[in-house]
Amino acid sequence: MTAPLVEASGLAAGYGGPPAIRELDFAVEAGQSVAVLGPNGGGKTTLLRALLGELRPAAGSARVEGRPAYVAQSERTRLDFPVSALDVALMGTLAGGRWWLPARRSERAAAARALERVGLAAVAGTPFGELSGGQRQRVLLARALVQEARVLLLDEPLAGVDRPSAEAIESLLGDLRGEGRALLVSTHDVEGARGFDRVLCLNRRQVAYGPPADCLRRTVLEQTYGSEIVVLEEDGRSLRAVAVQHHDH
Amino acid sequence: MVNASLSGPSIQTIIVLIILATVPDPFDLWQLPFARTAMAELLLLSVAAGLLGAWVVLRRRAFFSHAVGAATFPGLVVAAATGFSAPLAALAVSLAYAAGVVALGRRRPGRRAGADRDHLATALLLVAALAAGVVLASDVFTSGAGVDRLLFGTLLGLDRGDLVLAAVAVALVATATLALGRTWAALGFDREGAGTLPLPAGLADGLLLALIAVVAVAALPAVGALLTTALLIVPAATVRLFAPSIKTLLIAAPLLAASESLAALYLALWLDAPPGPALATLSAAIYLTAALARALRSPRRPTRGPMFPARESPLFISPGAGNIGSPGGRGDT
Repeated sequence: MTAPLVEASGLAAGYGGPPAIRELDFAVEAGQSVAVLGPNGGGKTTLLRALLGELRPAAGSARVEGRPAYVAQSERTRLDFPVSALDVALMGTLAGGRWWLPARRSERAAAARALERVGLAAVAGTPFGELSGGQRQRVLLARALVQEARVLLLDEPLAGVDRPSAEAIESLLGDLRGEGRALLVSTHDVEGARGFDRVLCLNRRQVAYGPPADCLRRTVLEQTYGSEIVVLEEDGRSLRAVAVQHHDH
Repeated sequence: MVNASLSGPSIQTIIVLIILATVPDPFDLWQLPFARTAMAELLLLSVAAGLLGAWVVLRRRAFFSHAVGAATFPGLVVAAATGFSAPLAALAVSLAYAAGVVALGRRRPGRRAGADRDHLATALLLVAALAAGVVLASDVFTSGAGVDRLLFGTLLGLDRGDLVLAAVAVALVATATLALGRTWAALGFDREGAGTLPLPAGLADGLLLALIAVVAVAALPAVGALLTTALLIVPAATVRLFAPSIKTLLIAAPLLAASESLAALYLALWLDAPPGPALATLSAAIYLTAALARALRSPRRPTRGPMFPARESPLFISPGAGNIGSPGGRGDT
């Protein structure tokens, strides 16, 4: 049996004060996708930062195979920056460590291929700020693809994304799983989490981790979200629920 | 009845002829040794300040760029009073200022809400430097015309050392642009995303501030400590209004800076005005005209925030103009 690509053991992490997340124990195998669910402030982004190595564990440990690629929320990019979609994808080649040298032809080709893979080859030369929200998110995904990482961490990649882009992203995530990569995706989409291999419910501590059928239950979701969960329909083991999002940005 | 056309030239024509008669031939200026030195200095500074200015506006360091020039004040007072080299004193103070901003403005790991620490540090240290300069000038030394000249610049007393300093600034900025350009661009576009790449983010940020300090000091003899903005920020900000890519910005900003500098020198010599303020006025007028032209040509706005936020204007230098409040996102730069 191969070692998991991502492993947290008794992990606690924070920003210097009391840990923002604690008691995390989970492992993600190659080819597995994990939906990270939790309320705003529940620690989803903190977990991703801890896995990226930006935050030192206050307790326990976190291990990631190789350098993970990170897809931040596109809201945090600058739309006024004079870069094209291809320029942004090309930034991913900096993961190779040759930051002091100009981009090579092979790196440009890799960036172009990544854009093609996310279905945006036709807008490679378009300024990033002129793309739709969904297209911008796909460009950031292309930047991550260029890094050839075995582990991808995605921070709410489907938030505010148009339907065609969401379908393209979901399809691509499925392909990446098929390639043996491990994906951790933070999301507010409780229903969408059913399509993942595992669900990690987080509310400053690990509430549950396991297959969607085990985690997407009323008791678990209520422990995770508190009053932020609204159950729409419940029939035996089947449950439909939505998390109420309080935007803090 | 007398035909008006036969009554001789009109008063307006006479005025125009008188004005034209006073316009010096540009080639006559070339014959003046001090003008040749001034032109060489301005061309060198235009390359250094234009290139670096492109990064200043992209990385939203306008406030720091203005502040670091003004912060050299105590060094200039001491140099003028003691006979110590003014550029060296200014360089020491400006690099210390940049180091202070880096140290006080350092982000805590993983935090993205600490961006305002940079410009708080910039503002606090600027106040401290200006206060120290005032105390030194009024209570410790007697400041004379030498300090005034360094605060507002002069192109009449340039020497070989000034040209060498400007040439060194060109070499440093060009080398840094080649080696750090991709890193500066990635960090400026998306600090959070780029922060996960194996980039020397701290080194790149620190070097950017150090280079701004060096170029501001190199520009002191020509435009003075208080008007470095005219070379370092305004031309690049003007080009930024239209530049579709970073490469265009890097090429066009030095060209515009050079054009504005030479035109300002010509006007200053013709009108017997100080060159530094002439350059500042001319570059500001061109920026305002360009901004107006762009606003009229393209009323479309990006999907997040205004195209011309007041605090991003190079003519509105405040702590907020430096680093935060991106029209297209919240990322600090």
